[in-house]
Amino acid sequence: MNKIKIGWLLSLALMLGMTSCGEQKSNTKLILNEVLIENQTNFQDDYGIHSAWIEVFNQSYSSANLAGYRLKVSNQPGDTASYFIPKGDVLTLVKPRQHSLFWADGQPNRGTFHTNFILNGTTDTWIGLYDSGDKLVDQITIPANTLKADESYARVSDASEDWEVKGASEDKYVTPSTNNQTQDSNAKMEKFKQHDSVGVGMAITAMSVVFSGLLLLYISFRLIGKASVSVSRRRAMKTKEVTSVEEAKEKKLGEAPGEVFAAIAMAMHESQNMHDEEETVLTITRVKRSYSPWSSKIYTLRETPKK
Amino acid sequence: MGEFIDFIGNNLADFWTYTGFANATVGHLIMILVGLVFIYLAVAHEFEPMLLIPIGFGMLIGNIPFNMEAGLQVGIYEEGSVLNILYQGVTSGWYPPLIFLGIGAMTDFSALISNPKLMLIGAAAQFGIFGAYMIALALGFTPMQAGAIGIIGGADGPTAIFLSSKLAPNLMGAIAVSAYSYMALVPVIQPPIMRWLTTKKERVMRMPAPRVVSHTEKVMFPIIGLLLTCFLVPSGLPLLGMLFFGNLLKESGVTRRLAETARGPLIDTITILLGLTVGASTQASEFLTFDSVLIFGLGALSFVIATTSGVIFVKIFNLILPKAKRINPLIGNAGVSAVPDSARISQTVGLEYDPTNYLLMHAMGPNVAGVIGSAVAAGILLGFLM
Repeated sequence: MNKIKIGWLLSLALMLGMTSCGEQKSNTKLILNEVLIENQTNFQDDYGIHSAWIEVFNQSYSSANLAGYRLKVSNQPGDTASYFIPKGDVLTLVKPRQHSLFWADGQPNRGTFHTNFILNGTTDTWIGLYDSGDKLVDQITIPANTLKADESYARVSDASEDWEVKGASEDKYVTPSTNNQTQDSNAKMEKFKQHDSVGVGMAITAMSVVFSGLLLLYISFRLIGKASVSVSRRRAMKTKEVTSVEEAKEKKLGEAPGEVFAAIAMAMHESQNMHDEEETVLTITRVKRSYSPWSSKIYTLRETPKK
Repeated sequence: MGEFIDFIGNNLADFWTYTGFANATVGHLIMILVGLVFIYLAVAHEFEPMLLIPIGFGMLIGNIPFNMEAGLQVGIYEEGSVLNILYQGVTSGWYPPLIFLGIGAMTDFSALISNPKLMLIGAAAQFGIFGAYMIALALGFTPMQAGAIGIIGGADGPTAIFLSSKLAPNLMGAIAVSAYSYMALVPVIQPPIMRWLTTKKERVMRMPAPRVVSHTEKVMFPIIGLLLTCFLVPSGLPLLGMLFFGNLLKESGVTRRLAETARGPLIDTITILLGLTVGASTQASEFLTFDSVLIFGLGALSFVIATTSGVIFVKIFNLILPKAKRINPLIGNAGVSAVPDSARISQTVGLEYDPTNYLLMHAMGPNVAGVIGSAVAAGILLGFLM
């Protein structure tokens, strides 16, 4: 019977788990983050050449490897170029919350980060990032003629949903291989400095949370304690054949304090007379030390030379 | 021959520049002296010897002067040195959760489960943290630094190291040494405050014996404790998760070997490494600053505030409790989580006024609640300030 119940419970848990998995959004670590199509005076590659580039961002807090991924580009339906990111280059490992830049210069012989295609901004440009299982993990379409020279199409901030044109104004600047929105101050710290320079707000908030946490524990264990006492009382009532709860409460059934258990243990110990008489019996126990070559005298002595 | 003698002479002169004698500064000597005092206190007066011996000796190790420009890779702050590798457990914050695993595996939460209202004393004593936080802010520390300094008031060494390694790594040495020093000095700091804040009548107050706690309740405690506290403060997960996990190993009754390893060899190993490297991190050039002096002062203040708030909270709490369930205010000090020292102090001070009034088991309740409370407080500070 119990096995059937456990089986039902497990099946239910499995079903719930699977349902919740189905609801989850695909959780990819690597995403497209910024694209620059016409590079005139912007970032240069290692060869000193200005080329179009695509920035990939690792939005997770663990490293992610781009090896085996594919970058695909299409300017018109049915015409898709694909670049396989080679395996075996340690530089394809993108550290947590870091970026990786690919040069769309059509020169794959120049290294891992140079693709076999170029970008063309005169028509709609679709860029897709595919994982090693050829599953689309992220894509973006840049409408035709959206970007002028040295302007990029980028997420507003790293990994955010919305995209915008960067490079057109002072506050929206192009950010190859770095955060789309540079943080030049610690926002949280600034907020604290501005609104809570004395620390009273923090003290009140934090102490409320500490009290709430321990209050929750208190309430839970008060209830659990009551339930536990009630269970032991019911058991004691069954043993003593008491039917009235009032009577059981009066007799404090099931509420034996620790001293009672100590007294019972002592009485059992005394009645069973398990111990020898220590005053008259001398017990010699052999001390056995575990062997170790580190403490062995034989190993520390030099052997007598053989003649 | 003359050239050869010159060569020997130059070699010896070179060697001299590498010795500790040539590189010693007053700072090194002061820190060595502090290390010796720690060792003396531990050996002669048994003040937290498990902590003060490794920390004290670590101070000696960390303050042996050497030629910093020689690239010998011996100093704790030199990347790749043995000490630096051992110190990574502190800087990356994985020693403290392992210590908490051991603490969980050796702590009996029965006193707390049988009388759960004692948990609130553990919460009240955390005022020490935020009192010190406010004073540190007033002294000009940044909110992150103030948070790291304030946690000294939690009287919990691993928590202090964990939080300071995240919020203010440059102050970690001073914060850790301050936290452990004051934990060792709890028998000196707390009793006068306890006597000052209580009346003679309150000190002899007797509390009903705690009820026997069932095995089921003991098993449920770490599970429910983890779920409730970590759902509320997920940033406390490394500490609380390990604390409750260790306790489940102990209480489940079926993982005795694991529990014994956690509370024995594992915690001992980590304590040795943690103590030694924290001690060694007090290299004079990094440690002897005015900030360190301020941190020591703030640490003392935070302990005073924590003890005071614990005792006063019990007195206020007693006003709403029925007479039979009132709490002896002498256990209020135990809300700071220096386990089990502060509970032992409740017992010692209580026995001074009534030799038959044993408060130890009652004081263990707020004491272990203090461990949970300080870990929760650390989680909150981390969540707010990181």
